[in-house]
Amino acid sequence: MSTTEERRDHLLRFGGVIALMGAAFLFLLFSLWRLQVLRASHYESRFEKQSIRRVRIAAVRGSVFDRNGLCLAGNRPNYCLGIYIEELRQPGKWPATVREVERTLDRAAGVIGRPPSVVEDDIWLHIRRRLPLPFIAWRDLTEAEMARWAAAGASVPAADICVEPVRIYPQGSLAAHAIGYVRRAEPRVDDDGGTYHYYLPDMAGVSGMERALDAVLAGRAGGRLLRVDVSGYRRDESSEREPEPGRSVVLTIDAGIQGVLESQLSGERGAAVVLDPRNGDVLGIASSPGYNLADFSPSISSREFDALVNDTGRPLFNRAVSGQYPPGSTFKPVIAIAALESGSATPGMRVDCPGYFKLGRLTIMCWNQRGHGSLDMRGALEQSCNTYFCQLGLKCGYDSVRHTAEAMGFGRPCGVGLIEESGGLLPDGAWKMRRYGEPWWPGDTANISIGQGALLCTPLQMAMATATIANGGLCYRPRMLRAVLGPGVNPHTVRMDGKAWRPGELAEDLHLSPVTRELVRRGMLDVVGELDGTGARARIPGVTIGGKTGTAEYGPRGARRKYAWMIAFAPYERPRYAVSVVIEDALSGGRTAAPRVARIMEALFSMDGTVAGAVGREG
Amino acid sequence: MNLFRKMALRLAAMDWLLTVGMLCLVATGIAFVYSASQTGDEASRALHHRQIVWAAVGLVAYTGMALANYRDLERIAPFAYAVAVVLLVVVLFAGARIYGAQRWLFIGGLGIQPSEAAKFATLVFLASVLGHPSLEVRSSLAIAVSLAIAGLPILLILKQPDLGTAMVFVPMAMGMMFVAGIRARVLAVFGAAGAVLVSLMIAAVVLPGKLDLDAETQERIWQVTGLSDYQRTRIRVFLQPEYDPLGAGWSRRQSEIAVGSGGTWGKGFRKGTQNILGFVPRSVAHTDFIFSVIAEEKGFFGAVCLLGLYGLVVWRTAAAAYRASDTFGRLLCVGVALVLFLHVFINVGMTIGTMPVTGLPLPLVSYGGSFAVVAMTLLGIVQSVHMRSLPRREGVFFRDLPTRADVLK
Repeated sequence: MSTTEERRDHLLRFGGVIALMGAAFLFLLFSLWRLQVLRASHYESRFEKQSIRRVRIAAVRGSVFDRNGLCLAGNRPNYCLGIYIEELRQPGKWPATVREVERTLDRAAGVIGRPPSVVEDDIWLHIRRRLPLPFIAWRDLTEAEMARWAAAGASVPAADICVEPVRIYPQGSLAAHAIGYVRRAEPRVDDDGGTYHYYLPDMAGVSGMERALDAVLAGRAGGRLLRVDVSGYRRDESSEREPEPGRSVVLTIDAGIQGVLESQLSGERGAAVVLDPRNGDVLGIASSPGYNLADFSPSISSREFDALVNDTGRPLFNRAVSGQYPPGSTFKPVIAIAALESGSATPGMRVDCPGYFKLGRLTIMCWNQRGHGSLDMRGALEQSCNTYFCQLGLKCGYDSVRHTAEAMGFGRPCGVGLIEESGGLLPDGAWKMRRYGEPWWPGDTANISIGQGALLCTPLQMAMATATIANGGLCYRPRMLRAVLGPGVNPHTVRMDGKAWRPGELAEDLHLSPVTRELVRRGMLDVVGELDGTGARARIPGVTIGGKTGTAEYGPRGARRKYAWMIAFAPYERPRYAVSVVIEDALSGGRTAAPRVARIMEALFSMDGTVAGAVGREG
Repeated sequence: MNLFRKMALRLAAMDWLLTVGMLCLVATGIAFVYSASQTGDEASRALHHRQIVWAAVGLVAYTGMALANYRDLERIAPFAYAVAVVLLVVVLFAGARIYGAQRWLFIGGLGIQPSEAAKFATLVFLASVLGHPSLEVRSSLAIAVSLAIAGLPILLILKQPDLGTAMVFVPMAMGMMFVAGIRARVLAVFGAAGAVLVSLMIAAVVLPGKLDLDAETQERIWQVTGLSDYQRTRIRVFLQPEYDPLGAGWSRRQSEIAVGSGGTWGKGFRKGTQNILGFVPRSVAHTDFIFSVIAEEKGFFGAVCLLGLYGLVVWRTAAAAYRASDTFGRLLCVGVALVLFLHVFINVGMTIGTMPVTGLPLPLVSYGGSFAVVAMTLLGIVQSVHMRSLPRREGVFFRDLPTRADVLK
């Protein structure tokens, strides 16, 4: 083979080799293109999955203020000392790092002057569970500890102060049921559908307004992205979304009024509500026995919680809105309204009371067993004559009674917004047939006419009815929320909307005739104002009060006990307050509830400055 | 004419494209060694300084080789080959055992890999034998001789075992023999036999597990293959991507994620998070897995540019082979082109999962002095072949060579 031929042969063969290499290069390029262009997002998400950790940052919960801007529930910063373990990492195995963390804990303990409350196991647990987050070694640093840390903390590496919000209740147990308690929220998938590697839970309202307004108070949790390295240490972080603090709310409750109600109920089981009959604002709403909200913050032990749940007094139960009681005689004004408005009776209708009411085999005793003699409607209200109202109820018929009661808010929740609110029970024929398989007898109507039988209502419903009578027939739906503030807004700087709801909006106008208004209000005035009125014990100097007492029986035959009721409104001419009080296991409305109403009225009017002057004038 | 002027004129006759391509690769290597080692400890953060020193040494070797006459290599080739084989034998007895393989010889604290030296020596010796005018390449003798020359080091390397080097060695020798004119049918037979052997070994590694044979039988089958534990594991990792993701499959998986997550344009220089966060193991990010760092930080664009630079270098090497004025020079260039190409193909393929994980560096880019110097020396030889293929020019001539015109006459 000549050199030239040989060369050509070499190059031809080399050309083949080059072609192979070119094909291999193209294959590489194709593989890279598939990996980096076509499937890049797949690998990106795989990368993120292994190195990005989402942390949910709880939002600070909004505060709850009373109508005057007094803080009922708020937050205080809880200063904690956290250790950033990634700054202490030691080469080699984990124990070296754990020892370093322990050394740092000892040094920090020396600075703040308190031994750490964590043990080695806690460090290990933290490393396994939530390494990229700071390791909280001390909570609730006192001012002195903070000061010592500020002075010498810089010498301790990798430790820093962090702040957690803790729910506080500056007024202690005041309005506990209305405010409600909170507890750690269950992890939930947030609205953006994302799941978190580390879930720092916030508080969720369980009862009361904390529950009702949870969406407003809770705010929006934020998220943070932590980048972790191959060992799981935090490397850096980027904020995904700042948490939006919850908005604060102003309740219609007046802390002063609330305090009075609670002091009048203390030691009893019962409830009391004060409404503003001019707009339906709930000025005070109390239930007894109560509980201490502070026990729930930052968290309640299950033992304490069980004790509350198992307490026979049921302190967690909000009797003012959830308690369902037979209203007894306090229901009589409703019968009077029904009879007058349906046109089946006039104020002048007289009934002779022999001390009992007989209907077939049914005998209903009047509380005055000697009989009231002949009474007109106003007198019957004053004397709370059972005989009269049984007759009156039968005369106008149950349909009218039911219609009026429904219009005044009985038989359904008032819609104050509390989740625990019950609707009471306003029975009808269908209900009785379902329940007992019997038709509605006239005896049932007679029983309802004196507030007994199957009829049940809540103290809030009673207060609402009282307010409706007081203002002459405008049935306001009671409200507890006065305003929602922006985050961090001071309630004192906000002009709040205190105006009344117009009829048709949230108030229903019963369109009572002047005669009806006059008679029922007058009758209730006599209850308190006349010397022989059943509610005479509610009288206070300087204020004219209209009211109605009630005593409803409950419990098994032979061990009957009594609920003592009183509803009242004042001042008579232009009512500003409508009150309902119920005390369980009491003597009677007149003897148990009325004096408490007197104390409440006294306080109400001395607080708004009327009584002191009035007392002075009357001498 | 003084020596200085002569040298300068000779350098001016260099294939500058080859030089530029090589320097670009070296510069890329230094930059990404810096990027890859930035998060390590104090000592590793200065690795790029050492790489610069090695690059300088390599550049001296490159220039020296380019100016020297590659024909002189023909004379020392047999001795170099003999020394390399002896070292391969020595390393089997006295080598340091790392990860179950004896590859390193430590002489006075300096570690060398005899298999690297053997690669270099065999390349030159094979070229000189196959290019020898007195050898009739079509003869059986030629086949026997070249197979013996290539086979001896290959067997010794497989004994270590060093699969990666063998994977370069076998195609390199076969390619050179093929280009030199050894009968293709003979090579095809050997190639086919090799392919069957490899397939059988792979089947022996993977199939027993798939067929749910009991542990004892599996163990016996594995014994027959003669593969060590870690080799079997690597083969399984290669064929079964989900095999042992946190252990043996880790590097492969993480490197794949790094490359893939780089996307089209990459995450930016020194922003390769897979590398920064240590998912691509720090011990290999700047050496064998440097390509995954580059592909992550510069994306598909960067990877294509890098492969383009290799394409340039291989093209210029092939061009030198085309122009070479004698068979020895031509075969040298063919060998160099093959070695470079195989390293790049196997290394890049390893980082994206199309090749099993082996300890092969990316030529000129990976951190590591000895291979960088070897690679630049090889390119120096190519440059020398190129310059000595040029037509005689006044003042710059290469006495002992026939001119190109002479050859083509």
